[in-house]
Amino acid sequence: MSGILDAIIKIITWPPLWQLVVLGLLIPLGVVVFILWFERKTAARVQRRIGPYHVSPKIAGGLQLIADLMRYMFQEVIIPKTVDKFPFIVAPLAALILSIVPVVAIPFTSIEAYFPIDMSYSLIISLALLTLSPLFIILSGWASNNKFSVIGGMREAYLITAYELVAVLAFLSAGAITGSFNLVDIVEAQSGVKWFIILNPLAFAAAFIGVLLSTSGFPFEIAESEHEVVAGAFTEYSGLVYGMNMGAAYLKRMIFSIMIAVVFLGGWQPYTPGEGFIAGYLVPSIVILIKATVLMMIFSFFRAVYGRYRLDQALDIAWKILFPLAVLGFGLGLLEAYLGII
Amino acid sequence: MSGIIRTQGAQVGFNDLKLPGMWSRKIGKDLYEIFIGPQHPGSGHMRIVIRVDGDVIVEADPDMGYVHRTMEKLSEVRTWIKGIPLFERMAIHDACNVTLPYVRAVEKLMDIEAPERAKYLRVLLCEINRIAAFLYGFGIFGVFLGHSTMYMWPFGDREVWVELAEWLTGARLTHSYPVFGGVRRDVPAGFTDALRKAIRYMRKRLEDYRKIFVDNPVIRARLEGVGVIPKNLAIELGITGPNLRASGVKYDVRLNHPYEVYDQLDFEIPVFQEGDAYARVWQRVEEIKQSLNILEQVADWLDKHPRTPILHDKFWKTAPPLYKKIFEETGRAKLGAVYAIMKVPAGKAYERAETARGEISYYVESNGGNKPYRIRIHSASARNALVYKYIVPGHRVMDLPAIYGSIDYFPPEADR
Repeated sequence: MSGILDAIIKIITWPPLWQLVVLGLLIPLGVVVFILWFERKTAARVQRRIGPYHVSPKIAGGLQLIADLMRYMFQEVIIPKTVDKFPFIVAPLAALILSIVPVVAIPFTSIEAYFPIDMSYSLIISLALLTLSPLFIILSGWASNNKFSVIGGMREAYLITAYELVAVLAFLSAGAITGSFNLVDIVEAQSGVKWFIILNPLAFAAAFIGVLLSTSGFPFEIAESEHEVVAGAFTEYSGLVYGMNMGAAYLKRMIFSIMIAVVFLGGWQPYTPGEGFIAGYLVPSIVILIKATVLMMIFSFFRAVYGRYRLDQALDIAWKILFPLAVLGFGLGLLEAYLGII
Repeated sequence: MSGIIRTQGAQVGFNDLKLPGMWSRKIGKDLYEIFIGPQHPGSGHMRIVIRVDGDVIVEADPDMGYVHRTMEKLSEVRTWIKGIPLFERMAIHDACNVTLPYVRAVEKLMDIEAPERAKYLRVLLCEINRIAAFLYGFGIFGVFLGHSTMYMWPFGDREVWVELAEWLTGARLTHSYPVFGGVRRDVPAGFTDALRKAIRYMRKRLEDYRKIFVDNPVIRARLEGVGVIPKNLAIELGITGPNLRASGVKYDVRLNHPYEVYDQLDFEIPVFQEGDAYARVWQRVEEIKQSLNILEQVADWLDKHPRTPILHDKFWKTAPPLYKKIFEETGRAKLGAVYAIMKVPAGKAYERAETARGEISYYVESNGGNKPYRIRIHSASARNALVYKYIVPGHRVMDLPAIYGSIDYFPPEADR
């Protein structure tokens, strides 16, 4: 009996599966539930309302999102006659999966036994995987055959060109400082207080705003802007598929936050992974997830403060301010590497 | 305009492409036609058909009339007093302003005038309505720009004014407060103190609005230089209200053609020269401040003067002693039976007033019967709606909600 149990535990804790399913999907989903609750509660607080309450009064409406999800689940999935059915259904699924996949290239510990894949080029791999999912948002907009969807998809396309280079350059500046694309090396280089947010605030700022741009966070909630394009690329979706689309954006933001936590906020530092599954894998993961959750909370607070920029203004900001900022951050990283600060 | 299909004289659709059994219309090469409304989250009860080239709007066609309720015709089959609750439905949150010129026009035909106290009470409710209507507009405007806080705050603060109006008149929105020859109720005890408290609160809140919305860098970037109505265009199109004043024209019915007691009150009307969406926001903020000033003066006047009849003698003398006793005790005057059978001398009258959205005018014609012969209403929103056709082209699609919100267009008022 204990043999079977051991085998099950071994399968569950097999790093690729553990990282993709637990760290990539289940925990981020839980965090997203919390973040959505937090977002609604803080916005309500700012706006002198109560926010979600009636679903579970004892925990301040914490189960509201679960209730919403159940509503989506039991709602009829309407597939209009005019859509291109195959991409219409596949695109949101692909976007959801591709938002999670980058997590396999992110190390949650420094112990090699718990790496899902080889970490030598993990920075490049995770960034490359992160840039894939927006293509499927454009595809789902195109497949919907609806004017608002097409416009939403095109806006997403514009925004990709704006944020992708910025975010990639900003994250790569960590590689410039350490001279390595290995995320483990990058985290190890940030021992003590040498976090890259302190050493390279320019790159951090560029990455932070780049993430806001890429995940439709306020003030850049443009591709789904309700008052021009209804729900952007997702206008024709309903039921669970629509919920999946919405969830994918938050999951993507969570994965981006984990990336920022690893690259700029010192990863599992100041904790040092010890021996065994718990001390060597679980605790450092929790440290990273807490940092990412704090980032998510900051992202979601902006909803209460800002309106949204116009599309051309967002592109202006990306190309005229963020891009030079990211280049400067990259240069700063090179300079620090030259001076041997690390 | 060739190829228009006509059925029994009515224009139904276009058949430019000669498709069998299907309407079709050529819109030009490389243009994309988008129907914003009437079932669009950013449209309200109207439709704006826009044609875009890339992200830039090249043509905009406001299409009104989705909430037309034949008010002018309906009023011809109702007795005079029933016109008041009918016309209120044009702008239920601006009820006093919208019905006041009708009441005044009928008073003009009957050659009576409301007592001074009633005039002050009318101004009181008019300004309360005006502030509430501006806050309503702000809320819609905020959510159009994606600013959810600016949606919630004005709607929450509007409650203060709506409840004051409820306390004064008994109804939150459709007050039916001004009636021929006066008003329905006097102020309840303690009302002016609550009013002063609300004024202090609103002044504080306007400062909060400035911090989070009007001076917000994102909002400024969205509004400055957007939707500019030049002064000459504003005059040419007959734009009215705050939109006109934000374009640099000093015209306000309260100043230019004072009615009720506005000539005895001390207030000034702000004028902005820029004419863009941002100026229109400031215009409304400043007008709320002026309305607060007016309310303060009205509260002072009401405190100084004892309670006197609030209906003209013609109606007051028909009231039974019991009515008068109740009025002395509670300040409520029940509508006399005389209103139900009231006949208005034959004649024509024209009256106007400044509503929250601009000038509204009524032409009232009576043939001496107990119903109006003809009533013609020219409302502010109907005049302002034209502006979309002229100022929207050239802007980007994302500017449309900013312009739409800044005009503060209210479809039911325009469609009547």
